[in-house]
Amino acid sequence: MNKVLSVIRRELMERVRTRAFILSTFLMPIFLIAVLVLPAVMMSGGERSSRIALVDGTGTSLGAAIDDGLRGERLGDGEQRFEVTMVPAGGRVDAVRDSLVALTGFSAKERPDGFEGVLVVTPETYTSGTAHYLGSNAGSPQQMQDLSRTLSRVLMRARLDGAGVDQSVVAQALVPARLDADRVSDGKPTGQSGMASFAIAYAMGFLLYIVILLYGQQTAMSVIEEKTSRIMEVLASSLTPFQMLLGKIVGVGLTGLLQLSIWALCAYLLASQRGTIAGVFGADPDVVNAIAIPPIPADLLVIFLAYFALGFLIYGAMYATIGSLVNSMQDMQQFIWPVMLPIIIGFFGMIRVTNDPNAAMGTVFSFIPFFAPFVAPVKWAMGSMSPVELAISLFGMVVGVVVIAWLAGRIYRTGILMYGKKPTFGEIFRWVKAG
Amino acid sequence: MSAPAVLLDGVTKRFAGHTAVRNLSMTVPAGGIFGLLGPNGAGKSTTIRMIMEIYLADEGRVELFGTTHGARALSDKLGYLPEERGLYKKMKVLDQLVFLGETKGISRGEARKRAGEWLERLGLGEWTQKKVEDLSKGMQQKVQFAGTLLHDPDLVILDEPFSGLDPVNSQVMKDVVIDIAKRGRTVLFSTHIMEQAERMCDRVVIIARGEKVVDGTLAEIKREFGGTHVALTFSREKEKAARVLADRSLVASVDDYGATADVELAPGAEAEALLAALVGEGVGLTRFELVDPSLQAIFIAKVGVEAATAGRREEVAA
Repeated sequence: MNKVLSVIRRELMERVRTRAFILSTFLMPIFLIAVLVLPAVMMSGGERSSRIALVDGTGTSLGAAIDDGLRGERLGDGEQRFEVTMVPAGGRVDAVRDSLVALTGFSAKERPDGFEGVLVVTPETYTSGTAHYLGSNAGSPQQMQDLSRTLSRVLMRARLDGAGVDQSVVAQALVPARLDADRVSDGKPTGQSGMASFAIAYAMGFLLYIVILLYGQQTAMSVIEEKTSRIMEVLASSLTPFQMLLGKIVGVGLTGLLQLSIWALCAYLLASQRGTIAGVFGADPDVVNAIAIPPIPADLLVIFLAYFALGFLIYGAMYATIGSLVNSMQDMQQFIWPVMLPIIIGFFGMIRVTNDPNAAMGTVFSFIPFFAPFVAPVKWAMGSMSPVELAISLFGMVVGVVVIAWLAGRIYRTGILMYGKKPTFGEIFRWVKAG
Repeated sequence: MSAPAVLLDGVTKRFAGHTAVRNLSMTVPAGGIFGLLGPNGAGKSTTIRMIMEIYLADEGRVELFGTTHGARALSDKLGYLPEERGLYKKMKVLDQLVFLGETKGISRGEARKRAGEWLERLGLGEWTQKKVEDLSKGMQQKVQFAGTLLHDPDLVILDEPFSGLDPVNSQVMKDVVIDIAKRGRTVLFSTHIMEQAERMCDRVVIIARGEKVVDGTLAEIKREFGGTHVALTFSREKEKAARVLADRSLVASVDDYGATADVELAPGAEAEALLAALVGEGVGLTRFELVDPSLQAIFIAKVGVEAATAGRREEVAA
């Protein structure tokens, strides 16, 4: 046991000391700050009003109603979203449009009286909803969406009005639905909003995916390094293959967990201090604070760690075994699919569960040891897994770990001392069979 | 009498297509220096790997210290320097040795202390905090040597310990090996350099093509080999010796080194007759000495010139 501990310590210490670890550990929080602050900075600086010429070819009051509707749109800071200049077209819509288009698409400095776009409304706008917009900002989905939304609302109001519906009824009818989704678990409301548990679940699933992929790869690299540096034979004379395998997987896994913990701590600090940090970068603290960051319940944390540990034992063992079969990173490609495939399928299962927590596929996946680490914590976070199901899933994981460890140990003990040519799958099968 | 350190009984190891070691039996008594000799490809490393339980013998029995528990169970009493040297390249020298010590069951503190002493003794005292990859090849080999001996093993197994070392480092290693043996430990080392083995070993086994050809103490082997051997060193007129040395009634075989030669006399021939013949031809000599047969001569005679020189050629090429 002491020997396993010294292998674990070596893996952990040597890894933590590398430049790659230190850089990736501390670049991630900087990336997090950027993710948090940049949208806020963009939101506060990115929104501005645009000058629009409205060519009214309707010949009815619809033009004025659209003009009113556009003028009523406000930006976050209370400014008008659209500065509208209405131009009645009379019967010459095309000519008026073309003369206005000639003033469009210049910078405000070049032509202070120019427009960013020309919106043409005709009688058809009322009947079929079509309107034509020509503008320098026609490529901006956000601005086109704003414009289209406003038009839709004005049209709806105008049509209802035209059908003789009472104005107050119309105002009432246009109030949109606002769904307040609260998560329920074991028959008790948790007080968390559905959005919040989705965010936690998604973040967790994604972290598991990243860490298993990244650190699994490291396990394989570590074995390959021992093979190419030829220290393997010395180790093999002092340690059993099982001691080597266990020490390595746990050591690398702990490194991943350490990095994850540092990131989680940074994320927590950032989240709790997000208003202050945003202020430092000149962003509006209220905008940042408006992003809901849900608390992570203790049970979820424990379950997450359990699945991480068991999942890493399975995938770490698989990666280490692949490392033992080859002599260089390049050679790994041939054997990598038996481990990449379940990881990717598990990840897609996780995405499926975040979309539909009660999907049958998610339930099945949560009992398959290869996929459960990605799917089960997410299902639990979203409140669609019972404690009994959880217990069965975890038991399955333990069985999976034992089976994989047994298989991995058999291949590993032969693989680590094989140099030169890569074994075939048939040969590997014989190693497993050999007593 | 205590149990032998290593006992091989009819050990055979086959790899795909060929037999690396065939029905090999040998006994390494506890204490002293034991040489496992043979040309390259004779099966020395395979034999050692079977002793170390890295390979399992297909047939036969391997005993260590009189038990069949196997090398891994007895790992803490064994020190092993594989033929393929290897260390963690990115690790610091001291950390590396401490780790190797820990895998042999000694505590961290003790490993640190002993590692410091060994590095000092091997002249690497100033390199303890350097990464292994920053060391020269010779230094790396000394670090690995220290790692092999850190836990003061009862049995030290060294596979080609002197290959790739310069004369100075070779001397340092030799002194350490002699010292270990003096303190009652057992050293088993393999080599294909006969001069080295002749000067250091108490007992040797020579194997060729996976089979044992010679086994015993140096004295026994030489006595058994028999014959009268003369060492010659020429000072002048060496070419005139050729006719005498070609005389089959006088000389059985010659190992010609140019300025010197090892001569085995023909059965029944007298050393005095050879000396008289050489002097009669006008050959100048600074040395004419009756000697034991050299291990080199025995090796060549037993293994065959072809195998022995094949080994030598590879050595030169390497």
